[in-house]
Amino acid sequence: MAERTTPIRVLIAKPGLDGHDRGAKVLARGLRDEGFEVIYTGLRRTVDSIVAAAIEEDVDVVGCSILSGAHATLLPKLVASLRASGASDVLVVAGGIIPEADRPELEQAGISGIFGPGTTIAEVATFLRANARRR
Amino acid sequence: MPVDAKHLAARRELAQGISAVERPGPAANQRIQVALATSAAEARNALVVGLTGAPGAGKSSLAAALADVARAAGRRVAILAIDPSSHESGGALLGDRVRIDEHPDDDGRFTRSIATRGSGRSLAHVAAAATILVEAAGFDLIFVETVGAGQVEIGIARLADVLLVVEGPEGGDEVQAMKAGILEVADIVAVNKSDRPGAQAAFDRLRSGLALGAGAPELALVSATAGAGISELLATIDELGAGRGVRGRIRRVEAHLVAAAESHVDAQVREATASGALTTRAEQIVAGTQPLTGSITALFGISESPDA
Repeated sequence: MAERTTPIRVLIAKPGLDGHDRGAKVLARGLRDEGFEVIYTGLRRTVDSIVAAAIEEDVDVVGCSILSGAHATLLPKLVASLRASGASDVLVVAGGIIPEADRPELEQAGISGIFGPGTTIAEVATFLRANARRR
Repeated sequence: MPVDAKHLAARRELAQGISAVERPGPAANQRIQVALATSAAEARNALVVGLTGAPGAGKSSLAAALADVARAAGRRVAILAIDPSSHESGGALLGDRVRIDEHPDDDGRFTRSIATRGSGRSLAHVAAAATILVEAAGFDLIFVETVGAGQVEIGIARLADVLLVVEGPEGGDEVQAMKAGILEVADIVAVNKSDRPGAQAAFDRLRSGLALGAGAPELALVSATAGAGISELLATIDELGAGRGVRGRIRRVEAHLVAAAESHVDAQVREATASGALTTRAEQIVAGTQPLTGSITALFGISESPDA
């Protein structure tokens, strides 16, 4: 953190149709307390609207919470859209219920970190500080 | 239609510009100057509307509702939503986008969440600079939304061409003290949530209270979520903002200069606090080994007036 003069900006998004945002809210609040600027966008956002929000907010990280099982479709699409919009230096991470077997494919698609149940806020914060772009 | 690089390129450039001016210095000044030159060359005179009021009054929803009406009329609309940074961690939770619909394929809209960062006030230091950049990017109606807290709101009054104070339907005795400072500088007071019980009564109380003084603000009774009274409110805003010309941009530069000065002082205060110099000086003043006069200069580098 020492070399950074401004807080890391993180967009917390809930893509898709599941309506459970407690985990996303806990993470948003926890990262705030870790010194991050967290932009919380609420439930049921489309991939396009998450990309537009990430661009307008000039975030360093997009964190998606997915509990619906749609991760295999939504997350690679999100990474591809961010790259197409020139935001290829934005770190994409995901949390929620994501089976172990799906992880290699998601990592291949550019999802940098996958955090399952039981991950602590401190672990997420440490990962983001180590991997978010420098500026 | 999926968003793509072409669609978002202009918004991306503006977004990065705002991040750049959040880091004060020669590069930030350069960007602001270029933006001012662009606006002057293209005769852009954006209308900047400040929205302030207590948490939960419905500022974000009202800004979004006004933006929808204006956008439907073909205007290019931006919302800058300012929320406080934590004094403890320096982090912030910026949640206004929850109440603002996303329009990913519409380049005529722009929304940005801004944390107050080093500002000990409810207006971010960067707010004026951000409006200058947004204006230069061709947005002609800019809403700047801040959490209100009494006298400190003078900052938003300085920045905005038209200042709108938003009240909830429960506005009553308990918040009267807060109202006193801000109502003096409000151009419009809008009682939001007109669909809820008590809104009409709050509106009536406000009207009879304000009727006692001179130079009373315009009053409006609206519901952001039901869309009631929004077009009328926008018409009132336009009326009050009409004829500002280049004056609006001059106002924004004034606000930026004040913010830059405040930013400098805030940094000096933080430094003196963190280093212990502030406490040491206070101890010396109490012990009588240092005079009060001259202390501000010694601590913060600000010259004191001779008769201070």
